Amino acid sequence: MLSVVQERTSEDLDLLFGALADATRRGIVERLAVGEATVTELAAPFSISLPAISRHLKVLERASLITRSQQGRWRRARLSPTSLAGGATWLSRYERLWTESFGRLDDHLARLTSDQPTPQTETKTKTKPK
Amino acid sequence: MTTTTTPQLALTRIFDAPRPLVYQAFTDPDHLAEWWGPIGNSLPRDEIEFDVRPGGHQRWTEVFADDPRIRVHVHFDLTQVVDGELLDGTMYITGQLPEGFEPFETRVRIEFHDEADGRTRLEVRQWLPEHLASPSEEGWLEAFTKLDAALAA
Repeated sequence: MLSVVQERTSEDLDLLFGALADATRRGIVERLAVGEATVTELAAPFSISLPAISRHLKVLERASLITRSQQGRWRRARLSPTSLAGGATWLSRYERLWTESFGRLDDHLARLTSDQPTPQTETKTKTKPK
Repeated sequence: MTTTTTPQLALTRIFDAPRPLVYQAFTDPDHLAEWWGPIGNSLPRDEIEFDVRPGGHQRWTEVFADDPRIRVHVHFDLTQVVDGELLDGTMYITGQLPEGFEPFETRVRIEFHDEADGRTRLEVRQWLPEHLASPSEEGWLEAFTKLDAALAA
């Protein structure tokens, strides 16, 4: 199976390590692991200008850590699916899948148990997991 | 695939239902179709095929609501099954996947535990696909070796 890092040349590695050697850029990568975002959204947690964020994004893009797409007026940044941060993205997607499914399973089980009520479920206080 | 390592995803959830019912929700095709998957996606009933036993499988197709051309085939090959208590195996994800996704396999372990008051504690463990699993280990080591070589040249 292909390893992402194996495909990289030493020039790529310079770009990669250089890109990750900055706290703001690491913060941006962490934010993008949750989902894609605009420059404005990415700038929110940092006390730096939008042009400065754009410069950081260019560095991340050159290192193939992120890709950017144009949607109307907005350029959205997302983690490159083949980047080292791909694992984090994958995990957050699966965590969301399970969590959303659990919410629906809660509802499904509630319907089933109310169809066949037992003394226990009738008197019990419902705990609603978030 | 590597199954001896620590799972990268560990989720615990308490359900307000008895354990056999929660287990049934995972192992009965009519039940699973009611709740599994990203919101809006559907599981065609005639594409759900379960044979729940050690060495058996659970198979279904997820159709995306906003793009019905996307059809994800999930084949969960079961290695360990304990009735009412445990499902463990490897999920193979293939089919017409969303953009940016490639077919992959992931080990999944689902444990069902009794809790007080007739509730059930679900423990889900999941392992990253191999190609994403350990850049911090093998991948990075390889990268540093190449970097050393490049610097020494």
